[in-house]
Amino acid sequence: MNAGTLSVRVREITELAPTLKRFSFEPAHGGEFPTAPAGGHVMLTLRDGDKVMKNAYSLVSAPGQRARYEIIVRKVSQSRGGSAFLHSKVAPGDVLDMAMPGSLFSLASTAKKHLLIGGGIGITPMLSFLAELKSRGGRCEMHQLSSLDEAPVFERLLAPFSDDAEIAIHTGGRAAFDLAGLLARQPLGTHVYVCGPHSLMDAVVSTAAALGWPKGKVHKESFGAAAGGLPFKAILKRSGIEVEVKENETLLEAIEAAGVAASCLCRGGACGECATAVVDGELDHRDDFLSDEEKAAGKLVMLCVSRARGPRLVLDL
Amino acid sequence: MSDQGIKSKPTYGKIAGDKAARYQLLLVEGAEIPAEVLAEGVDPSAFETWTVAHASALPAAPMMDEAPGTVRPFRSASHMFSALEERLDRETMGLRFYAVGAEPFLWDAFNIASAAGLSQQEMQFAHVGPKARRIYCVHCRTLMDGVTTSIVTCTGCGAPLFVRDHFSKRLASYMGVQVDAEAPGEVPAAEELYK
Repeated sequence: MNAGTLSVRVREITELAPTLKRFSFEPAHGGEFPTAPAGGHVMLTLRDGDKVMKNAYSLVSAPGQRARYEIIVRKVSQSRGGSAFLHSKVAPGDVLDMAMPGSLFSLASTAKKHLLIGGGIGITPMLSFLAELKSRGGRCEMHQLSSLDEAPVFERLLAPFSDDAEIAIHTGGRAAFDLAGLLARQPLGTHVYVCGPHSLMDAVVSTAAALGWPKGKVHKESFGAAAGGLPFKAILKRSGIEVEVKENETLLEAIEAAGVAASCLCRGGACGECATAVVDGELDHRDDFLSDEEKAAGKLVMLCVSRARGPRLVLDL
Repeated sequence: MSDQGIKSKPTYGKIAGDKAARYQLLLVEGAEIPAEVLAEGVDPSAFETWTVAHASALPAAPMMDEAPGTVRPFRSASHMFSALEERLDRETMGLRFYAVGAEPFLWDAFNIASAAGLSQQEMQFAHVGPKARRIYCVHCRTLMDGVTTSIVTCTGCGAPLFVRDHFSKRLASYMGVQVDAEAPGEVPAAEELYK
């Protein structure tokens, strides 16, 4: 861990939808939290018996709100345990460890206009952006893609911002969402921000590029990339140990379970904090941090999302 | 003496264009595109081009089309810049903006484009023509165009100014600093450096 840890008490849990809960935290020892950056995230350490899980969540509370930090968590069916644990085992009054908020997804201060696109639970960093833009008075347009049954939930979450931003909720699926039309009509100086399923983020990145948007004005929040894969063996050369990485866990989780403290921050392949030198072995890169050239060179791996392409991987760790 | 080792002194390349662009607009401080400013293989017919005729007699029916390959002449740079503000105000994302000319022209264009929301990733500049500098007197804020010497007398406050390589994009000028501030009256001879 490169930053300090906060001790937080669960103040309130609100069920927003069958699979969506909002958790409100307060400092366990009184006082106020540090001011969080807009679009920032926190990492919770969750202890379920012997199993220790670390999950990153976007803060949805307004950046200036220092009495409470709030997150919204979706219970995912293929969860590796973190979100299911929060949904079923955490209760008001519980005290958890939380890493200081970090930010990998921030508002461009020079933007003339901010275009926000959320897909499902990808709404979470947008809520923090909307709160920040409301207080700053920035020009803003928000599009939320949603299933039909969750639309009223997102509508309620977005309602406080409807006076200051153009807000639209799309329930007709991706095919009915005119992404190209939306991106084509944006004035000069617009920045687009997207958070949601990878297919949506990829569509925004490629459609924007095809319309001539420069890379620097397209921002995506990349969490939840760590799907499993084939099991493999990781050999930690400096620590002198071997770690079996199971098909449903990440390299980082396996290393942590073996008692080796690897440096990490976002746990989603975005920040670059867990970059580790590779001594030997082929890689399946799944991060958004390394350039294509660096990925091809195969000298570095992002422990949190990437895996071995073969049976073994030797790391300088 | 010509290189003062100051990083803010701008450097320029050629206009390479951008294949990813939705639309490309090129401004030229002159009647024609100088061939040497285009990178190899760049076809200027891919750009909508605006030129400065430095003349009041423009063609009777000036080309007003907004399309790649058209060339639109303006009476002066000021005339062009006023049209540019209006044009950028109704442009959409995907535009690339290029300018060719002397430094004050390039950075005036840069400031108009920046105010409209374009980032440096969306702009390219090529420097042609005189190397004369626009100087900003840091003491009295007077701007002087066409300075070619290492020392210049401020037209505003009369101070002898040393012409630094320190460049301000916002002011589109180099900084002029009183050269005899420490030892009044000791003014080195001016050298002709910027032609």
